[in-house]
Amino acid sequence: MNREEIVKDLQEIFRNLFDDEELVIFDEMTSADIEDWDSLIHINLVSDIELKFNITFTTEEILETKNVGEFIDIIEKKVNGGV
Amino acid sequence: MEKEKISELLKQVRKNEKNNVQNEGVKIAVLGSCSIQYFVKILRYYLNQNGVQCNIYEGEYSGINMDVFDPNSSLYEFNPEYVIMLPFYSDVKECPPLLSEGNKIIEYLDDVKKYYEQLWSQINGRLEAKILQANFVLPPVRVLGNLEYQKEYGRNEFLYSVNRELLKVAPSTVTIVDVDALSNNVGKYNWFDYKAYFLNKAAVRLDYMPEYVMCFVHEILALRGNIRKCLVLDLDNTLWGGVVGDEGWEGIQIDSNNAVGEAYRYFQQYCLELKQRGIILAVCSKNDEATAKEPFEKNENMILKLDDISCFIANWENKADNIRRIAQELNIGTDSLVFFDDNPAERQIVREFVPEVHVIDVPQDPALYVLQMEKEQPFEWTQITKEDLERTNSYIENQKRQKMQESFVDYNEYLKALEMKGHIGKIENVDIPRFSQLINKSNQFNLRTIRYQEANIIEMVANPDYRCLYCKLSDKYSNYGIISCVILHKEGSSCFIDTWVMSCRVLKRGVEDLMFNAITDNAKAWGCSSIRAEYLPTKKNKMVESFYEGFEFELTSAKNGTKEYILNDLNNVVDCYIEEE
Repeated sequence: MNREEIVKDLQEIFRNLFDDEELVIFDEMTSADIEDWDSLIHINLVSDIELKFNITFTTEEILETKNVGEFIDIIEKKVNGGV
Repeated sequence: MEKEKISELLKQVRKNEKNNVQNEGVKIAVLGSCSIQYFVKILRYYLNQNGVQCNIYEGEYSGINMDVFDPNSSLYEFNPEYVIMLPFYSDVKECPPLLSEGNKIIEYLDDVKKYYEQLWSQINGRLEAKILQANFVLPPVRVLGNLEYQKEYGRNEFLYSVNRELLKVAPSTVTIVDVDALSNNVGKYNWFDYKAYFLNKAAVRLDYMPEYVMCFVHEILALRGNIRKCLVLDLDNTLWGGVVGDEGWEGIQIDSNNAVGEAYRYFQQYCLELKQRGIILAVCSKNDEATAKEPFEKNENMILKLDDISCFIANWENKADNIRRIAQELNIGTDSLVFFDDNPAERQIVREFVPEVHVIDVPQDPALYVLQMEKEQPFEWTQITKEDLERTNSYIENQKRQKMQESFVDYNEYLKALEMKGHIGKIENVDIPRFSQLINKSNQFNLRTIRYQEANIIEMVANPDYRCLYCKLSDKYSNYGIISCVILHKEGSSCFIDTWVMSCRVLKRGVEDLMFNAITDNAKAWGCSSIRAEYLPTKKNKMVESFYEGFEFELTSAKNGTKEYILNDLNNVVDCYIEEE
């Protein structure tokens, strides 16, 4: 899976979750950029990503991930490297 | 719940929040040792889905003590009707040290017990609330290995004892909700999500939050009188394999030596046990009636017999109409029905046209029928009483009564021939659960539909200005037990009928008349010169809209359907065919 495909799927998850069909994600995007992105919906986001890409994040990864770009990095590593 | 489903559900939850922001309705407080935000959101959603608007107070994280022990807390200011308490096993900080024995362990148990008794009595002292207390979910952590189970000082074994002890000391204002049983069914490794616990203090994996919440939704609905009473069953490929119309009564699959036949028999056995606990069984099948009844009459492998079915409808009309007919014949609301049919098209029709019916999501494989019923728990009741166990029999006896009625020209002659015996009495402690159940379950014959919990009733029994009367009935076919309740309130020289409910099973039998005579007797004994009464309309009690007119009460006011009455002549005695015992 290349980065472009991951971004496309991830964007779909964001659009679905935040109920916004126009939403466009970018690497530097953080919870400050989306009004509804609070700690509660973050749990939901992680769960949706894990399901979609069939991966699991470690506690540390969830804790340390600061923006969308870092999420994509981890997803890319996990889906391709099978970690 | 599967992951796809939880994601979809949360989407619905958010949509519901946006379109349906309301802080009106039933007041519920949720207090927990862990994070309760998702719990509250899903609770609101499910209650809304069930037609209950609610206003939910969300306690602070780990704020149980703060809310309960401070008399000026926002919990008490909020003044909820229900308090949901969600503890976590780490709340029990003091466990008996290793190698403790007997008395030492009891001391530790007593400490936990005392804490909870205080917690509950604080709440009960300040609020007229029902407490829904989750029990402790035992963790999948056994430091002592298999010894954990063998030794009383094992932490899990200790928590297990705590759960059992809390059950014993819980007063009637507290309902212990068995969340541990749910976690067992889910599996503890799946139930606990330690990642989410360390990150967000989540007590349970998000995927199982809906089931967790559902335990409490069922309790709240049951306490509010939303109780399902009847299971409506399809026949072909539901109670047996194959189509009886094609294969004949001897050809259907119900063979105990065949795996599929065994699965159907297991489901029949389950239905029979439901019937024994007081659930009415009905049949709704697309078949010719005679053909549909044949397996019950002739096939020896059938566990359910015709006598177990209180209402049997087999024809070629649509099931939505037939379901309404079943409710009518049994004299219960369509909202107390549960529908079980293997055919998705039939389920869809019922969902669409009779949406208040609980339609079971029947799996394809009959081997999974029982588990599906267990997962959906459509019959969550707050009590089980002797009357419940008798009920299903009395519905069946009712059919005999109806046949008998047909042979009489005069209804009064029929009533006489029933040889009814009635008894009116003041309630005693043993009657309180049934009294409360009847008040909370009756919807149709209920003049004011004010719900009282057991604790309220206990107070009224002790108060000389209140009188709680019951009526027991039996006839030559069955013993009904307590089937009508009245609460009277002395207000100076007037006696107010605060509550009058009756089970619809005994409609038009004269119980109303017997009760009326008892009410006037009581009013006179109190020295009252008049009786005041009121009718409060609900969606379901139209049946008694003009009830008081029948007893010559005088209408004093009528506004928005609410009617107030007065009766000044207390010497009017009504005839009835029930012999008083």
